[in-house]
Amino acid sequence: MPRLDIVDLKAAYGSLTVLDGITVSVGSGKVLGLIGPSGSGKSTILRVLVGLLKPAAGRVLLDDVEVRYSNAGDVKRVRDQLAIVFQQYNLFQNMNVLDNVTIAPVKIRGRSRGEVEQDARELLAKVGLADKLKSYPDELSGGQQQRVAIARALALKPEILLLDEITAALDPELVSEVLDTIRVLASEGMTMLIVSHEMGFIREVSSKVAFMADGKVVEMGAPAQIFDAPSEERTRDFVSKILRH
Amino acid sequence: MSYTLQYGQIWPYLPFLLDGALLSLQIAFLAFCGGLFIGTLGAAGKTFGGPIVKRLINVYVVFLTNTPQLVQIYFLYFALPDVGILLSSYVAVLIGMTLNAGAYLTEIQRAGFESVRQTEMEAAETLGFSRAQQIRYVIMPHVARVLFPPLSNHYILMTLGTSMAAIFGVEELTGRAFNVNAETFRSIEVFSVTALMYIVITVAATAILAVIGRVLLRARMRII
Ligand SMILES: Nc1ncnc2c1ncn2[C@@H]1O[C@H](COP(=O)(O)OP(=O)(O)OP(=O)(O)O)[C@@H](O)[C@H]1O
Ligand SMILES: [Mg+2]
Repeated sequence: MPRLDIVDLKAAYGSLTVLDGITVSVGSGKVLGLIGPSGSGKSTILRVLVGLLKPAAGRVLLDDVEVRYSNAGDVKRVRDQLAIVFQQYNLFQNMNVLDNVTIAPVKIRGRSRGEVEQDARELLAKVGLADKLKSYPDELSGGQQQRVAIARALALKPEILLLDEITAALDPELVSEVLDTIRVLASEGMTMLIVSHEMGFIREVSSKVAFMADGKVVEMGAPAQIFDAPSEERTRDFVSKILRH
Repeated sequence: MSYTLQYGQIWPYLPFLLDGALLSLQIAFLAFCGGLFIGTLGAAGKTFGGPIVKRLINVYVVFLTNTPQLVQIYFLYFALPDVGILLSSYVAVLIGMTLNAGAYLTEIQRAGFESVRQTEMEAAETLGFSRAQQIRYVIMPHVARVLFPPLSNHYILMTLGTSMAAIFGVEELTGRAFNVNAETFRSIEVFSVTALMYIVITVAATAILAVIGRVLLRARMRII
């Protein structure tokens, strides 16, 4: 069963320390919400987890097995098990929706096209895009593109899904359709790590919420605790400021 | 002033002119292919190469895009013999146009290479694509799509540019038109027919390239 433990993780861009000893964990079927001010390092955690940035120190354990990010085999294994969805969707512009979703399972994993397409159609129907299979990304709205990106991530049958501000680039009226998709996944027991500024949503879907600032986890706890009774001053400030908006 | 148009007089020369047009197409095609090869290497060097490679490619590009093409060919044709390299006019024109195209296509293709979206590459990487698979499935299709329209334009320009071969006595379309004019003295007829042939060639090439680009690459191109 997928479980992810991050222990005292450190990472830097050049001389700028961005993660300064992060310790969090996500249990199987649980959802961890990551909140915090801009620049606190939320995206960086996800980038380290999928091997886009090498950690400077600390440990990442996937099902109690340590991931060595300097080892290509380990990175491949971690990418087999984790899937990330980015804020800017990052779809392949030269491929239609169906190809975006099927290319990795077919070309990278070597699964049979027929079977993968069957899965992809089901996934795309689930995110409400059954009628857009042949459309290209530039013919879709932001919300539709983001749902394609989610389907593309799910097509690899990941054990853990990482979501980075997936609604931040969307018009308000498109946010709910994407969040609905995530709610369904959460209710189906998908293990997720969600970075978001949608506090109502984070509160609703998360099993646990971590508040970050300056590359550190300031406070972690149940959603009710973080939002209603934070014990740290900084958490209180952030939550009250953001909820007032 | 009255002038009676007599297209009948140059009618017999039509096959002769068409033959010249074929040579024009041949020069343009060969020089373009050569230029594309150089341009691909140049763009790759400028994108991925070390500082010395980049500097050398820059020198090449700056020299060839900032001097008239005619001067470049004059140099090959008249200056090289002084150091013992004798080129026929056809070869001098072909080499000159190839080198010139190489410089322009280096710049055009570099812009295409640079327009690859880093974010798409990261998405591919996290989906498990190897470096080679990223090039094959993400970079190449994108670059082809972005580059097809400007490359097509350059090809059309080169087709018209082949007419300067006439100056060196190459018997392509313009060169032959010049000869027919010298024999018949029907300047208006000769050069209007010649102009029409160039128009047909370029319009047809533009349309064909646009169809290819739109169908195969989803490139945004107008079909005339
Ligand atoms: N590619 C990069 N090169 C250098 N510094 C970077 C890079 N990406 C991020 N940073 C820096 O790292 C720090 C943490 O960035 P990160 O993107 O993790 O923050 P975040 O919490 O996701 O913020 P936001 O809410 O704005 O997305 C910031 O100070 C940022 O400027
Ligand atoms: Mg971020």
